[in-house]
Amino acid sequence: MSVRAQDLVLPVLAVAAIVAVIRIRARGGTEAAKGRRGRLREFGWCAAVLVLSIMVASTLFSLFGRNNSSWWIVIPIAAAVIVIFWPHLPARIVPVALILYGLSGYVIARDYAAGSMDSYGVMVASGPGIQADLILPQAYAFLLLGGWLVLRSADLVLVRARLWLGPIGRAPLGDQLRTLALLPVVAVLAGLIAPRLWLAGGAALILTPLLVLGVVLLIRRWPKRAAKLATAGLLCAGIAGLVIAAAWRSSMATSATCSASPQPSAQSSAYAPPVKPSSGQPVKPPSPVQLKKVCRPTPQPAFGGGTAADVADVAWGQALPYGAVLVAGQHGADAAGVQGLALLALGTWLAPQTFPRIRRMLGGTPDAELTKRVARLTESRAVAVDTASADLRRLERDLHDGAQARLVALGMNLSAAERLIPTSPEAAIALVAEARKASVRALMELRELVRGVVPPVLADRGLADAVRALALDSPLQVETDIDLPGRVPAPVETACYFAVAELLTNAAKHSGARDARITMSHSDRLLRIEVTDFGLGGADLARGSGLAGVERRLATFDGILAVSSPVGGPTIVVLEVPCVLSSPKTSSY
Amino acid sequence: MRVVVAEDLFLLRDGLVRLLEAHGFEIAATAEDAPGLLTALISKRPDVAIVDVRLPPTFTDDGLRAAIEARGQVPGLPVLVLSQYVEQLYARELLADRAGGVGYLLKDRVFNDDQFVDAVRTVASGGTVMDTEVVAKLLSRRAREETLARLSAREREVLELMAEGRSNSAIAQRLFVTEKAVSKHSTSIFTKLDLAPSDDDNRRVLAVLAYLNG
Repeated sequence: MSVRAQDLVLPVLAVAAIVAVIRIRARGGTEAAKGRRGRLREFGWCAAVLVLSIMVASTLFSLFGRNNSSWWIVIPIAAAVIVIFWPHLPARIVPVALILYGLSGYVIARDYAAGSMDSYGVMVASGPGIQADLILPQAYAFLLLGGWLVLRSADLVLVRARLWLGPIGRAPLGDQLRTLALLPVVAVLAGLIAPRLWLAGGAALILTPLLVLGVVLLIRRWPKRAAKLATAGLLCAGIAGLVIAAAWRSSMATSATCSASPQPSAQSSAYAPPVKPSSGQPVKPPSPVQLKKVCRPTPQPAFGGGTAADVADVAWGQALPYGAVLVAGQHGADAAGVQGLALLALGTWLAPQTFPRIRRMLGGTPDAELTKRVARLTESRAVAVDTASADLRRLERDLHDGAQARLVALGMNLSAAERLIPTSPEAAIALVAEARKASVRALMELRELVRGVVPPVLADRGLADAVRALALDSPLQVETDIDLPGRVPAPVETACYFAVAELLTNAAKHSGARDARITMSHSDRLLRIEVTDFGLGGADLARGSGLAGVERRLATFDGILAVSSPVGGPTIVVLEVPCVLSSPKTSSY
Repeated sequence: MRVVVAEDLFLLRDGLVRLLEAHGFEIAATAEDAPGLLTALISKRPDVAIVDVRLPPTFTDDGLRAAIEARGQVPGLPVLVLSQYVEQLYARELLADRAGGVGYLLKDRVFNDDQFVDAVRTVASGGTVMDTEVVAKLLSRRAREETLARLSAREREVLELMAEGRSNSAIAQRLFVTEKAVSKHSTSIFTKLDLAPSDDDNRRVLAVLAYLNG
């Protein structure tokens, strides 16, 4: 039965893959990237989920399938169904599945020692089973890859989440890269605790997504803090590796002399008491059985001579998964030492970049962050000055060509009328009427001009009411939800007002929406404005010069703009500008 | 008819006073700032007040707020607000108490004596006068078109002119129809906007309010 089921898997997956290709071609790719690239990407995800499903299934088979049951075949079938019916889902499933599979690698490596596992990852044993040494590097790689993909595709999961987590690609590149150092730290940590947690009632099933979510949140929301944590974690993990290596070497030395001292610190079983990852020292005294095993005459490392069974027998009392290596013998300990050194070196290299204090202590290199900030400030200042002088010039030109010219004409008309009064009063009256019309037009132009400089409601009432007025004036049905307990500083107020005006104009012109919504709030010294229209979507920061202009002008105030506009809508534009509110003006009549 | 005029610029205030006196209005008081205006409105109880939006002490919308405050204390006190700009937001605030007797015009409208004086009289008698600009902006709203979709094009024209504070005869003149046709249209508007029959002036106000407030 199981053989038959096995035979079914590949054809089913092949059919699924073909159907998926056809469907993806017809659909035209993911929401994130339409066209050829989107199709390729989507198909890549589908292929990944199929391959992963085979790996998971064969691992499960070698774990539980021995007694001829074939329930594990459900997994590739499920993957096939997903690929056929929901080809957009694999992009969301694969990263998390990779992490779970990586974690399970640590559990398997620990509990199903060499010889009992037939398959993990890309390794399939032909002989007596694959060894932990081959499982762990893969598990480590899966964890890293999964973590990285989760970070990359966090924005795919939910548009709203992406906005909440903060705009993507806005954190300085250095910070983004440094935060990635969290991944090996988490992987090492997960390797150390996963086998224990996993067995403690499957808690890992709940904890893993939480852990992943926590790390994603941390990195997205507080990239600087995440970078610091990553550096500190690297240093700790590196030191832990060195300690583990040293402890193992000393215990090897002790066990080689076959002394009965409890120092080698064997653990009683796979269901071990918690071990402090940093020290690698178990707390429970060893049982006699374990000691006997440990004292067997030839504790050969897994790589070297000795059968796999030997190694398993000897090592599993104390074996410790540390990152990509299983510390279960001489070579394992050495590898752990090397890995520890590597992590330590990476941490040491990152430390001066992440912690300004250390950098300052070391003297030397200029602050990269500060340099970047200076560059940004120089640029935004140039934009601000340019904008200001361009505005002034426009104002001058408008006054010169508009109101001034009309006033000159008005004066000429009036003097002509004065001349005409004695001779032909009718003509004079006509001229005066014309003069009156000219004055109305001049006033109208002046009004428009002033509205473009400082809109009256903004000057009178501040940003909240000015935005409400904008909402009223918009041809769209605009709902407002504004919570501003004080007055925004005048320059920020003006910039935000014109930004919202521009966004509403865009929405009215291009989105095809009938309704829009503006929410505005202030917390943690950050003014946050969200303009949503329920139109066609597809707005692009790079394409629309209007949005880019708004972004440039907000940059003067260290403000940022994020756009989420999937094809089909809605378009959400978020502005965030750091500022402090002043207490509201209170006057009463 | 007794009028209170509030305007901080001397030239404009003087011009307004002369214009009003020339048309037979009695100036009960003039004010140059918001507190002064409030006192004058409460103590003099004029038939109508003409108020500039921007007044001392803060030179923002003090005049408007003083007018709304006064109408809070003396319900229905007729107020005609003048401004260099018209804002729908302010129009809504003025109309919010739904008591009528409200006007909101651009200052330029003063240039046309007769129309301005008509507007002052309409407000004094409890009518509503909105500037063409406010009305035009309202028209540009897509969503509103639907709430008023029940009205025919001609009926909307009539309602628009009503919102500008014109009488039936003025509307008839403007649209080149008979006054009777206008009153027929307005009756139809009232029916379509579900306004119960009451005295005509009040229904006009309500129709205009329904139009302006959406």
